[in-house]
Formats: sequence, structure tokens, C-alpha cells
Amino acid sequence: MYTLFIDTHYTKLQLVLFKDGKVFDERIKLEGKHSEYFIPLLQDLMQKNKITFSELSGIIVVNGPGSFTGVRLGVVVAKLISYCENIPVKAISYLQALSLKYDYECLIGIQDKNGVFVGRFKENHDLIEDYFYLSNHDYELYREEIIIDEEINLDMVYEYLKDKKDINPHLLKPIYVKKIEVDK
Amino acid sequence: MKDVYILAIESSCDETSMAVVKNGSEVISLSITTQMDTHAKYGGVVPEIASRMHTEAITFVLEDCLEKAHMKIEDMDAIAVTYAPGLTGSLMVGVEAAKILSLMYNKPLIAVNHLIGHIYANNLENKMEYPLLALIVSGGHTELLVMEDDYSFKKLGETMDDAIGEAYDKVARVVGLPYPGGPNIEKLALKGKHSYSLPEPVLDDTYNFSYSGLKSAVINLVHNEEQRGNIINKEDLARSFQDVAVDELVRKVEKAFRETGIKRLVIAGGVSANQYLKGEMSKLCDKYNAELLIPRLLYCTDNAAMIGAAAYPKYLKKEFSDYSLNVSSNADIV
Repeated sequence: MYTLFIDTHYTKLQLVLFKDGKVFDERIKLEGKHSEYFIPLLQDLMQKNKITFSELSGIIVVNGPGSFTGVRLGVVVAKLISYCENIPVKAISYLQALSLKYDYECLIGIQDKNGVFVGRFKENHDLIEDYFYLSNHDYELYREEIIIDEEINLDMVYEYLKDKKDINPHLLKPIYVKKIEVDK
Repeated sequence: MKDVYILAIESSCDETSMAVVKNGSEVISLSITTQMDTHAKYGGVVPEIASRMHTEAITFVLEDCLEKAHMKIEDMDAIAVTYAPGLTGSLMVGVEAAKILSLMYNKPLIAVNHLIGHIYANNLENKMEYPLLALIVSGGHTELLVMEDDYSFKKLGETMDDAIGEAYDKVARVVGLPYPGGPNIEKLALKGKHSYSLPEPVLDDTYNFSYSGLKSAVINLVHNEEQRGNIINKEDLARSFQDVAVDELVRKVEKAFRETGIKRLVIAGGVSANQYLKGEMSKLCDKYNAELLIPRLLYCTDNAAMIGAAAYPKYLKKEFSDYSLNVSSNADIV
């Protein structure tokens, strides 16, 4: 029982193969263009382990927030594998994935160049209201309340999503959070 | 020889499209979703919104395309995709989709230049024979090429500034027509007469084009008339502009007919949907006893069938791409 985990939400590219719920193999690229490395690394991960896409029993994709383009690449690939091979797909935001490490209501943040993506999570890791984005300037005002974290725990992510519902691949979407110019 | 089926993907601007094309010439199925209504609200294509909409549409378009074809991806011989030129974020969605489909089904990946796709749209209902003159007219390009054979391009001339489609869109904006401006100018021009005097773009002896002078002349004319309190006759202005803009193309193609002796002309790109252009080129071709090929409207505008047509010669030559293929916002044919 193999599950493929895809995370392309920011500069780090991480692909993980779970076997029976345990991390079995992974590929990580810390920098470079996802558009150039993503599929070659995925090909390598699958071929080295002699697994075909139809043998996957699930896909987990980090659907944001982060780089718009990065998130999109992961989501597009997850959608297509799920749709074409009829493989159940689940999505988790990177912020929610981080929140699994904290067993109390908290504000979790991840930084990009210009600011911080933030989500408030209940003790059971449900999101409270919506994600939001603070500019670096605004972040300074709330600095002490927000937990800035980077490393998710893959085992926790797998466990958390185990009983969650699959998403229809047609409807799987990125989480963008940040406003774009025309909407400001 | 065995039939070749190519699944083609196009997402370079504001249309998400997929097609199954047989032997580079027969469209088995074509699916297109356009985002035009969304972008019209902003007066032009918003790149980030375009990328988002491609992402949301991708599996729906694939499903529709395969259902219409009554085929599966397993039945394909290759996956083709537009990799350039266009909006980077939009191109990436199509390219990533093509890569994962290629990897999943172990089918070769073929990268196609969007402009070459527009030329090969002419193979969908006719068969291009060589040598030929190819005139590319779109929102981003105005070029005149000679093709001696498949994928053999020699550039005679190109625009030194704006593309013709760009000039149409800007003139449309100045006279207050909604996006997409080009087709709206064409409609308006039908009702007008050539009553405004506008400068002829390039009077030199090259094959180059220029549209920024013409565009500026229209803008200045509108501002001057407004300042004088005169009302612009939009129909006449559209007609006067279109006459000069198209005449520029006709003169350069005529020069090419005379100097190269080539007896075939193919017109490609979004502006080839313009009926006035078609009419004028048709008269010119009659005069030189030349054959004129223009795709029908559906294949003039952005679509994946033309990408499947352009991928076929590359399939035969086994010109495949690997999975590090990247998109490019700018890519010249030659």
C-alpha cells in the first residue's frame, strides 16, 4: 500500500513515498525551479522503487499557501494522477500540517519574502476562520503570538489524513491566501 | 503505416484546450474552455487569474476531450504541449500536465511552439505544400516567413515594434470598445468608410512591418478631435485604421510573391480570423494566381488541435523532450 506525498508549495520540493503508513523513500530538492525538477524526481522515485502510478493507494498534496506557481504545479500533478488512475487524493495546507505538532489552540505562520501566511487552529487542528497574510511590517506587531515553524512531521500528516475524506480531483484547488494586484 | 494519435494540450493564454489529432491532420476531438468573459471585466488578460483558471479546468477539459474522442490516453502515441511563447504561469500548467501524463502512460513528450502551431493549423483541413509563404498575425506577432519544408523556416521580415493584433486592441481601447478589441474593431469597420487620413506604416524596401506609428496616429487623432470638441466617427475611424493596417500586410506579401516566385500563402494566428484581411489576401492571391490557405475560424484562434498538427512532424522525426522541459514566454520560430 503506497501513498505518494507531494509538496511543492515553496522553495523546497519534497516527494515522499509512504509504504503501509511509514515513510519508505523520498526525494528532496532544496532549490531550483520546480518546473524543471519535479517530474524528473517523481520519475526517479517511482522507478527506483519499481512502482507504477496505478499501484498507488493514495495521494497527499500540500495545496498551499506559498508560491502561487509552486503550489499550482503540485496540485495539477496530484489532480491528474488522481483523475487518470482513479486514486484517492487528499489535500492539506502546509500550515495545518505544521499545526499537528501543537496540541493547543495556536496561530501558526510560515514566512515568505514579503511577509507571513498565518492560520489559527483549534486543539483538534481544525482551522478557525480563514488563512490570512501579514506583511513583514504587520507581522512585527503580532510576532510573539505567532509560531513560526518550517518542518512538518510526515508521520503525523499521514495519521491525521487517514480518516479524512478524499477530494474529487476535479475540485481540488490551491490555497492562495495572498491577494493579487487586480483584487486589491 | 500505422496511424499516429497525439493528445495535444494548449494553455498559453486564456484558453485551456486539449485535442486528439490523428496523423497531424484529422481532428478526432477538440475541447476548449475560454476565460474570455472573466478577463473582459479587467479589460485584458490577467496572467495570475489565467493560471488559476487553467488549473481548475485541466481535468474537466481532459475528460471532455477523451469522451468526445471515445479514446483513452493508453491509445495515444504521444503527448504534445505548447511550451512557448505565452504567459509563463499559464504555459506551466499545460506543460506540467503533459509531463505527468507522459510519465504515467509512458508516452513520448513533444514540445510545440505556439506560433508554429498556428501555421500547422492549416494542415487540419488542407495539406500544406512547399515552398510557401507564411504570414503570422496575432496579438504578439507579425512575421512573414518562407517555409521550404516541414519545420524549415526562413524569416523575411517582422514587426519592428507592435504586433498588428496589439495595434487593433489599443485602437479599440482608445475608441472605448470592450476587450477583446480586435474583433470589435473589425465589426465596427464594416459600417464605416475610409474618411480619416492615417500614415502608411513602413514605406521602406524591406519585409518589415511597423504598427506603433499607426497606433499613435489614431490615438493623437482621437485626442485632437476631442480637444476641438468634435465627435469621432468610430465606424469611420475603425475602417480607416483597418484599411491601413491590412494594406501594410498586403504590400509586403505582394513584394514576397514578386520577389520569391512562391505561389502559396498560409495565414496563421488570431488575426487570421479577420474577414477583411482574408478578403484582401484572397484578391492578392487571385492576382498572382497563388493558393491561399487560412484555417477556419475555430482553428484560427488558440486551440490544441493545431498543436497536435504541429507535433506530428516532430513525432515522425522522434524529436522528443525530456521532463526537464521548461516554458518560455518568448520563443522565436527562427
